[in-house]
Amino acid sequence: MKKFLALLLAAMMLLGMTSAFAEATDTITVMVPPVTGTYLDDIDTWANDFMAEHPEIKVEVIKTSWDDHNSKLNTMANAGEAPDIAEVSYSAIGTYVELGLGVEIDQYMDADRLSDYDQNALDYMSLGGHVYGLPLYITIQALGANKDMLEAAGVDVAKVQTEGWTYDQFMEAIKNGTTENCFGFVFANSGVTAGDFLSIFGVAAGLTNSFTSDLKYAYTSDNMLKLLEAVETMTKSGYMPNYGVEAGQRMVMCQTGNAMIFGKAMPLFENNINKNNKALEANDGTAVENSIPVNYAFLPVPTMEGVTETCFGSVDGLIALRNNNTNDEHLKNVCLFLDYLCSGERAAAVDQTLLLDPVCKSGREAYVSPEGLDEGNVKSAARAISLVVAPPAGITSEQSANAKILMDEVIIPKFQALLAGETTAQDMFDAIVKEAQNVFGAENCVSGQL
Amino acid sequence: MMKSQTGIQSRRRFRLTDDDLWGYAFILIAMIAFGVFTLYPVISAVETSFLKYKPFGSEFIGLKNYQDTFSSSLFYKTVLNTLEYTVVVVPLSLLMAFAISIMILPFSKKTQSVFKSMYYLPGIASGVALSVVWLWIYDSSPTGLMNQVFTFLHLPTQNWLSSSKTSMISLMFMALMSGQGSNIIIYIAALLGIDNSYFEAAELDGATFMQKVRYIVFPLVKPTTLFLLVTGVIGSFQVFMNAFMMTGGGPDNSTTMIGLLIYKNAFEYSKYGLACAQAILLAIVIAIISLVQFKMMGVDVEY
Amino acid sequence: MSAMGLYSEHRNHPWVKHLRNALIALILIFLAALALFPIFYMVTSSFGPAIATAGNMRTIFPSSWSLDSYRAFFDFNIYAKRWILNSFIISFSTVVGNVIFASMAGYAFAKIPFKGSKWLFGMILVAMMIPYQVTQVPLYILVVKQFKMSNTYAALILPGIVSSYNVFLAKQFFTSIPTPLLESAKLDGCSHPGIFVKIVMPLSKTVLAVMAINTFMSTWNTFFWPFLVTSKDYMFTIQVGLKTFKFANETLFAPMMAGATLSALPMFILFFALQKYFLEGVTIGAVKG
Repeated sequence: MKKFLALLLAAMMLLGMTSAFAEATDTITVMVPPVTGTYLDDIDTWANDFMAEHPEIKVEVIKTSWDDHNSKLNTMANAGEAPDIAEVSYSAIGTYVELGLGVEIDQYMDADRLSDYDQNALDYMSLGGHVYGLPLYITIQALGANKDMLEAAGVDVAKVQTEGWTYDQFMEAIKNGTTENCFGFVFANSGVTAGDFLSIFGVAAGLTNSFTSDLKYAYTSDNMLKLLEAVETMTKSGYMPNYGVEAGQRMVMCQTGNAMIFGKAMPLFENNINKNNKALEANDGTAVENSIPVNYAFLPVPTMEGVTETCFGSVDGLIALRNNNTNDEHLKNVCLFLDYLCSGERAAAVDQTLLLDPVCKSGREAYVSPEGLDEGNVKSAARAISLVVAPPAGITSEQSANAKILMDEVIIPKFQALLAGETTAQDMFDAIVKEAQNVFGAENCVSGQL
Repeated sequence: MMKSQTGIQSRRRFRLTDDDLWGYAFILIAMIAFGVFTLYPVISAVETSFLKYKPFGSEFIGLKNYQDTFSSSLFYKTVLNTLEYTVVVVPLSLLMAFAISIMILPFSKKTQSVFKSMYYLPGIASGVALSVVWLWIYDSSPTGLMNQVFTFLHLPTQNWLSSSKTSMISLMFMALMSGQGSNIIIYIAALLGIDNSYFEAAELDGATFMQKVRYIVFPLVKPTTLFLLVTGVIGSFQVFMNAFMMTGGGPDNSTTMIGLLIYKNAFEYSKYGLACAQAILLAIVIAIISLVQFKMMGVDVEY
Repeated sequence: MSAMGLYSEHRNHPWVKHLRNALIALILIFLAALALFPIFYMVTSSFGPAIATAGNMRTIFPSSWSLDSYRAFFDFNIYAKRWILNSFIISFSTVVGNVIFASMAGYAFAKIPFKGSKWLFGMILVAMMIPYQVTQVPLYILVVKQFKMSNTYAALILPGIVSSYNVFLAKQFFTSIPTPLLESAKLDGCSHPGIFVKIVMPLSKTVLAVMAINTFMSTWNTFFWPFLVTSKDYMFTIQVGLKTFKFANETLFAPMMAGATLSALPMFILFFALQKYFLEGVTIGAVKG
């Protein structure tokens, strides 16, 4: 059978016209989603620049869309055909390390290059004391709103942006903002976007990470129950849609005046909304259907009683992965390009577009502050970034991978049911506790208040 | 597998005739493709189902994947979902197809063809295209198309794909609306094959239309019904596309059917071994259904 | 006409028959309209404006008519046109492969008495029952990891080059060709390839056409396999491209419909051109063992 297959393999090679020719150069593949609107074009330019500098290295870019990216990466990684470099959110690193695909890049990079990156951002890209990738930015995810509507609903926007607000104030605001044609609040909740709702409002209840600083699973705490009860109240309030809203529709609803506050939102949405305002002014038919001019306000997530305010943040970056081509020489080249993409002008360009601060020295040097932005939003974003809590040190790849499985297989499905009003906060909480204790053991799960 | 074949032959004096050589030459390419793209993957799937798969260096873990499957409540839920989908969609679609075929029957050949084409047309669009359209039809906001119809009929609007009460029904309805063409055409062919003398005799006995349907048509198209039933059941056990594109299995896994679960385990949760074990269980169930089919056909098909 | 006896002819009152048929026709048209509505909705909406839209303003007809959405779909990715070409190349190659190799194998199983033929054919029959979920993971690993064929036409075409089902279909049909016909050709000195090409193939035009059409349709509409083995956008098929577009642009309703229409259009054209074979194909395909 083996021989037979080998013969076939040879035949396939011929038939397949695969690139079997010997290559003198080292080829690096990099797989990225549209991190910014222009990222997929930019990365071609950067790859060409890099290749000009390093003629012995060839770079191939695989471009994905956001929704495809993770499953595509997962699929390829499992076949041992992972790209050398891929974009991931820090929480996914554990999964790849568990599969035996992680590359401890600190062994292949010069220490002084590594020290270019801020330690706190680098911590996100590390597990068990090893660095597996380089950060691009700390994203903050919170809420966005139509500023004028918000003020009409009696909210002191400037104050909220500089001091934060409580959950009760938020509920009051969305109650006042709800009219016949307008929801006070809309959060994309269809399919997997339900997970965002949970992470972003999690901080409102004091849940900043799946694990506490002593590495116990946090989603079994009373804070979780409190959060779920709050969500249950919100969905039943009538101030937000009680039906499924697709991810793309949340901002459109705000732009058409059908929603006052929307989530999730990032600072960079100001650009999108301003662009639409211009299109409306120019009346060139490219604006969102039936949209109105909107003044965008970036808002912090409200905080519940007895909780210190934090903001949901995540570090996204690029990691190096093992595949069939991996050897030491190759990994050195991979890390060289990885570092190139995450530092200097490249990092600055990404962060400038996303209205986020760079997380490396060289990036900060190249950074040019964008102009013409609403000052309140800039302050609000800066404040939010300062409120992000880094994940506890020492999470193992196994813990991280298990937390992700719990999230995908238990929490998100149950949360979808909660949003549809088909389960209660208590039932959902009980289900999470049961599963979590199964996975981590009861002694490793928080019970009671955090 | 060709080697073992010749091995069997060599025990009786082995000699290849011209016909043998021509036969092998004619099937060569087909058998190579079969060996590489079907036989090998099946063997490999069985092997993988005993592994904790990792891209580099899998571990043998015996029956653990099967144990995990049987101890996972999600697995039973998806089996139930699959059964629910099958039990509703397959019989209903046969009934619809049968009724429509009977209605098409009195018309001229030409008109029949027009109707056949009309019902067949939705089925030639790809699953992706249909899902994309239906996704918008099922928009849950009050002004989504389906909800507009409901409002018009003075019914409360529904949270179609985002509620576990309606998500499965939505997928079922979509399947019923788009997949009737083939069944109708096959039924019509079967109906046209019924000898007219049966009806003439019944007419003389003063049989009503419904009596004719019941006592002549039903029994005579039974083999066709059985065939469609079994292919329908096998097909619906493997349903994947609509849930994959439209609900991702949600909410709360209410639309995760076995096909989607296997996909998710393999390509989202990185559990290749578990996915292979579940696929093999599915194959066994389908094999049993097929065997039952052959048994029943063997008895029934003699017309 | 046979089976017509099911319905009474109402010879004494022809108008009863006409009225009855008119009523039935009305019901049939109504049901067909329901079944066709999504397709209709897809096509009309595809001519709408290429702008983002909220989920809460759905109408059956677009607010204005233009081809902008088609342009928007093609502008979305520079390879969008190539996706259609890719689909054509893959579908066409798969059809050619099946028509030649599956019918050759079918002929051998039907008409050449070779050792082991029953056994091998039995294996193919069994293979038809195996759900694709069983083979998807190993096949993916084989093609991508062992053969290193990701993002090649080979990966997209070869796994479907000879389907067990088509071998079975060809064998079933060829069995019905009278053997004496072939025997006499053999006596005239014709070898198997000669018989196959000169006698069997010409006699089987319909079944080959049906095989070609069914194969084309299923390959064109296949999503899953191309989705797995392509990661570079220039190798996408139109179905994979459409899915990518859908996920990247959730609110661009009309362009999404334009993409869906484009993905189905070649099949619609083929259907209207070769309607007879499509309809016949269903019944031929349903011949059982």
